[in-house]
Amino acid sequence: MLQLDVFLLILRLLFIVLLYLFLMQVVIAITRDLKVTAASSASVQKGPPVLGHLVVIDGSSTLLPGTSFNLAPETTIGRGPTNTIQLPDSFISGAHSQLRYHNGLWYVTDAGSRNGTYVNGQRTEPGQMLVAKPGDLVQVGFIRFKLTQ
Amino acid sequence: MQVLRRYRWKEFRLYIIPILILLLSMTQLLLVDKDPHSSFSTKILPPIQDLLPVLGLIAFLLVTNILLSFSPLRRADQMLLPLVGLMSGIGLLMAIRLGPDVGDPAQGTRQLAWIIIGIVLCMIVVFALRDMRWLRRYYYVWALFGVALVTATLVNTFRVGFHNLNSPTHDQLNLGPLDFQPSELLKICVVIFFAAILAENSDIFAAGNLRIGPLRLPPIRQLIPILMMLGIALLFFLVVRELGLALLIYGIYLCMIYLGSGKLSYVAVGFVLFFLLGFIGYAIFGYVRARFQAVTFNVVDWQNWTAAESNFAENAGLQPVQGIIALSSGGILGAGLGLGHPAFVPVVQSDMVFTALGEELGLAGLFGIFGLYLLIIYRGYRIAIESSDPFSKLLAAGLTSIFAIQTFIVVAGNMKFLPLTGIPLPFLAYGGSSIIANFIIIGILLRISYNNALEREGLAY
Repeated sequence: MLQLDVFLLILRLLFIVLLYLFLMQVVIAITRDLKVTAASSASVQKGPPVLGHLVVIDGSSTLLPGTSFNLAPETTIGRGPTNTIQLPDSFISGAHSQLRYHNGLWYVTDAGSRNGTYVNGQRTEPGQMLVAKPGDLVQVGFIRFKLTQ
Repeated sequence: MQVLRRYRWKEFRLYIIPILILLLSMTQLLLVDKDPHSSFSTKILPPIQDLLPVLGLIAFLLVTNILLSFSPLRRADQMLLPLVGLMSGIGLLMAIRLGPDVGDPAQGTRQLAWIIIGIVLCMIVVFALRDMRWLRRYYYVWALFGVALVTATLVNTFRVGFHNLNSPTHDQLNLGPLDFQPSELLKICVVIFFAAILAENSDIFAAGNLRIGPLRLPPIRQLIPILMMLGIALLFFLVVRELGLALLIYGIYLCMIYLGSGKLSYVAVGFVLFFLLGFIGYAIFGYVRARFQAVTFNVVDWQNWTAAESNFAENAGLQPVQGIIALSSGGILGAGLGLGHPAFVPVVQSDMVFTALGEELGLAGLFGIFGLYLLIIYRGYRIAIESSDPFSKLLAAGLTSIFAIQTFIVVAGNMKFLPLTGIPLPFLAYGGSSIIANFIIIGILLRISYNNALEREGLAY
């Protein structure tokens, strides 16, 4: 019964080959999966163009200095969930400030906040619009930001 | 057409090779039984009708594939189930193959029944766990459930009596026809409880307000539940004398506290405490010393054994010594399924199934099985990374850590790298409560992966 012995040897080797083939198949499926998720997360980030950043300097207990927020052409800041930038700080009103971009300058308005919005130390009165350019200090409540490109 | 597009094709394609492997091993067992040489050997192999559970498992895996494809849960992870399916298939084959040899021919059929109950429970968990907050909000209920399981084990230990602590089944509960091991469900409770506490207080743990010398520990109020868990691990170590379970719970504890706080100092303190307790345990308890005796035992030098050493190898150390001999006789390619003699190792079907696999599939087969474990663990951590909610993240990572630590403890024990313990190898060992608990874990992981997929596609849940 030599044939049976040989056949059993082939079956044994085939078992191991198939086991490793399966491992390879799973690894290939995983790499393909990783590429898909990388591509989809890249497409998610293609929202409105980023025209500038607000970088935290100080004044917040929850945000570390250096934290950066992206600015869309029309950005709202506040504690509420509908704002572009949500700041979970008790000194920030639900809808606090608004920044609009036009011809390389930012136009800052206050959205009726309790603690005010300041550009370089000057408070924006209701209905008033202050101009800010990259490098200026923007203060929302007690949090001071630097406006950067 | 849409149904065809939504079908879980990836999962289906990944099932093909596992099914081929299972059919091939079945053929091999069948042919080995017909081999005239095998009738001279002392082992008994299963007859044809005992091989039928393998076909049952294949059919059941395909049914779950179809069921998931036609439900809203088709977005759940597609790689876990084929990996787990192949693992439990190999475990089922081993149970069938070892059954007649250890004098329990119905073992394979029972293992299939457990796997089917496990998969059904897994599906129930996937469908019923609509809101992860059910786990998170009522975490004290899960903790209480865990304490109840611990109490049950303790009561059982006292009932059996301390004179009988060396019996291998003193940690089991006999519920009618079932031998139920509460520890398997306990590990899930521990992870849920930990994940909830750490997710709620992650900032507090990361800050560490209580200073003791150079160490910064979390405040007392958050420290107490964590110390309670340590107490449970200690209880198992000291009273129930379940070294494996104590190691497992402590390992999970270290993993999760690191994942939750990101501070290596906690882990360092944990390790120091661990070695201290281990040393004290070694000094005080005879059972720990007896277990460690096997670790330092030199099996290779068998020609120069003293009388005491021979006595150890034939009595107290029979299981680990025979296990090492079985592993070494497997070599690189193994004897082949059904061609080895793994039944010389006591309790080979549950505690020592790793050595049986090593003897019959060889080092190459064992590496393949490690590959399967690694991929399951990778997939679990991947699900944890993709999750955005801190509780789900910690839960997925903690549950995956169970597989990693448990496999490590069992394999290290079987290779006498650590003392041999009584916890089962996930999915491969024969035993109902282990299979069921592991499938429940897979169910929770699948549900978290489904939530992640919904979130990625921007759908609310």
